Amino acid sequence: MRGTAATLTLIAGVALIAVIVASALPSGGGAFSTRSLAPASTNTGAAAPPRISRVFDSTIPAKRYGSLIAHLENGGTNLQGQLVSDLSPIAPAAFAAPIAAYRAYAVRWSNATETAIAKLRRTLARGSRAAARSAWLAAWVSYVHLGAVYGLIGPLDHRIDGLPGELGETSFGGLHRIELGLWCGAPPASLQPLAASLARAVDTLPHAVATAQISPLDYATRGHEILEDAQRDFLSGLDVPWSGAGVAGTAAAVAATDEVIDTLAPLMSGRDNTLIEVDNELALMRATLARIRGEHGGSWPALSQLTIAQREALNAATAGALVQLQEVPGTLETAQLAQPPSLP
Amino acid sequence: VSRLNRRSFLTRSALTTLGAAAGLGAGLATADAGAAAPASSFALEERGLALAVPFAGRHQAGILTPPPLNATFLALDSVAPDRGTLIEGLQALSGEARRLCEGDAVGVLELDDPPPDSGILGAVDRPDSQTVTIAFGASLFDGRYGLEARRPRRLREMPSFPGDLLDPTRTGGDVLVQICATHRDTVVHTVRELMRAVAGRFAIRWTLDGFKSAQRGPTPHSSTRNLFAFRDGTANPDVDDERLMSRLIWVGPRHGEPAWALDGTYQVVRTIRMHVEFWDRVGMFEQQNMIGRERVSGAPIGGSGEFEDPRYDLDPHGRRIPLDAHIRLANPRTAPTADQRILRRGYNYHRGVDPADDLDQGLIFVAFNQDIQRQFATIQTRLMNEPMLDYITPVGGGYFFAPPGVRGAADWVGSGLLS
Repeated sequence: MRGTAATLTLIAGVALIAVIVASALPSGGGAFSTRSLAPASTNTGAAAPPRISRVFDSTIPAKRYGSLIAHLENGGTNLQGQLVSDLSPIAPAAFAAPIAAYRAYAVRWSNATETAIAKLRRTLARGSRAAARSAWLAAWVSYVHLGAVYGLIGPLDHRIDGLPGELGETSFGGLHRIELGLWCGAPPASLQPLAASLARAVDTLPHAVATAQISPLDYATRGHEILEDAQRDFLSGLDVPWSGAGVAGTAAAVAATDEVIDTLAPLMSGRDNTLIEVDNELALMRATLARIRGEHGGSWPALSQLTIAQREALNAATAGALVQLQEVPGTLETAQLAQPPSLP
Repeated sequence: VSRLNRRSFLTRSALTTLGAAAGLGAGLATADAGAAAPASSFALEERGLALAVPFAGRHQAGILTPPPLNATFLALDSVAPDRGTLIEGLQALSGEARRLCEGDAVGVLELDDPPPDSGILGAVDRPDSQTVTIAFGASLFDGRYGLEARRPRRLREMPSFPGDLLDPTRTGGDVLVQICATHRDTVVHTVRELMRAVAGRFAIRWTLDGFKSAQRGPTPHSSTRNLFAFRDGTANPDVDDERLMSRLIWVGPRHGEPAWALDGTYQVVRTIRMHVEFWDRVGMFEQQNMIGRERVSGAPIGGSGEFEDPRYDLDPHGRRIPLDAHIRLANPRTAPTADQRILRRGYNYHRGVDPADDLDQGLIFVAFNQDIQRQFATIQTRLMNEPMLDYITPVGGGYFFAPPGVRGAADWVGSGLLS
């Protein structure tokens, strides 16, 4: 879709230049009379190409005017001050630094998840349900902060965060199994074996994240899809059926999205208006979440505790952010879309 | 309100209604005389409402017959305590379905009795191309009615495929009733009348309303679109090819099925939620590659017409149509997969929003086939790796067996099984 739109824009830009050139042709009467303009194509193949040095109503040389128009129409200036056009794809190597930065961030949150799980185990042993629930929430939210790991760390993701019935999985024993216990009446101490097994899985997380293969396409797509998953799985309540921790989960997903977008900002800047639009919408989301948290005394409410106004504000902010984030993968294309071969 | 008071109230309201009806009739006549254009569209409407699809026949209607625009799927659980009561319920279901598909004048028995028909379609229940297709789920063949030994050999509960999030309250059922008609009100009326007829015999397990997209061309044969905007049903086998239908759809004498099942077919229903907002936020190029077709025309990628052969033999590495594109996995068009083909007869659904304000829209996937394992389940297993899976969640449905059609005026659907 983006490729087509960009091509159309280019065509429009070329047509505009053609019109400007045509307007500049010395013809009978005033050079800029209201005569009807011939289509651009009829100007080609004329006996002698017109020599144009200046463009109407400007002091810019015609040659430079053409490339400026192209940039105005199709590109801009990036954070490094370079002129870029969204018609020229980004070199895959340019993703190395953003991915490395994200990886360091994800390893930090993996370590934080380990710490949080250790704390969860201690609270389970002490037997207080309220303390165990809050430790569970902290551990789960830590894990959600990783954001972009899904599909990149193999079956480990399911062992830590899986729900029953997921694609190709039959086991159910991670964070959500403990969630089920804590919100449906199981004695906290009885959940200790599950937490011990979870801790063993999480122990391998930092290494898995540090060594995961992340391609530019994976990474660019995740800039969009972390929040898609939050909307589908957290805000709907689907993935947090017992705790209803969809607001906290969404906030963590926004933080992960922020991280990915921040690392990609140097690549996105200057290409369309994507970065600015995304930043605006994410700022609105953060403000909405902060306001809701404030209205609930500084802690995340369960989905069922949201007022109608809070629910609507959060749903709408998420939808608004997603409509801008959808532009991220196309803005970060590493290749021109090729027309598929035709059927013979 | 005492019983007596209620009765006198009803008598009064009946008289009032009669008076109002007379007034309404006069108003209608005046309107007709005054406006020519509405009269002609009214005539067209009348002609459509009068169209009937035969209820009786070798096979049930609603399988090979063209799908009208509206449908409701009604999954019922039998609460009959014994086999005799189950038979009564099925006879009532079938008899009422036949009456409504053939069309019937709405009678009045006694003014002080509740009318035998709700009357929401007026004085006559027009057939409106309606079909009512009755099918049995595996649960009907459990121990309750002594039907274990008569179970169609290939009928079982629909398994949860990887990625499914089946909701038990939206899955299964002893009896599935598929009601299809041109107009929504016809379908709604039929649901209401059928449930009156089987009250106390069946309970509703789940129900779901479906609609087809209007035929928007470019030709009268163009397949209509599902809610991902792609044409659905392009590769369906030709329902007018009797030999092909015997090969792919109907249970025949050599399939090892009980005799009563001959000329029936297996019906697969899958309620597939489509995450349409997410889908709409994906580039057109990616959408087309996931499906394997061009969105507007429905042509295979690189082709120009909807019904063009995708020629996978010329594209072995998926340079034109990716190897994991939906159409390529669903129907590889090879000789060994030819007998896996199914007849799809799905409907779109729209049933509100979820808590995140995402629309709850999707596809009521309906497929008819001779052997679920050989056909539908084999295809479904092949589709486990398709990229489109991220955008859908199957949440309900079931496996059913649609028995043969009724023969003669006294016959009813299921008579072969229970007599």
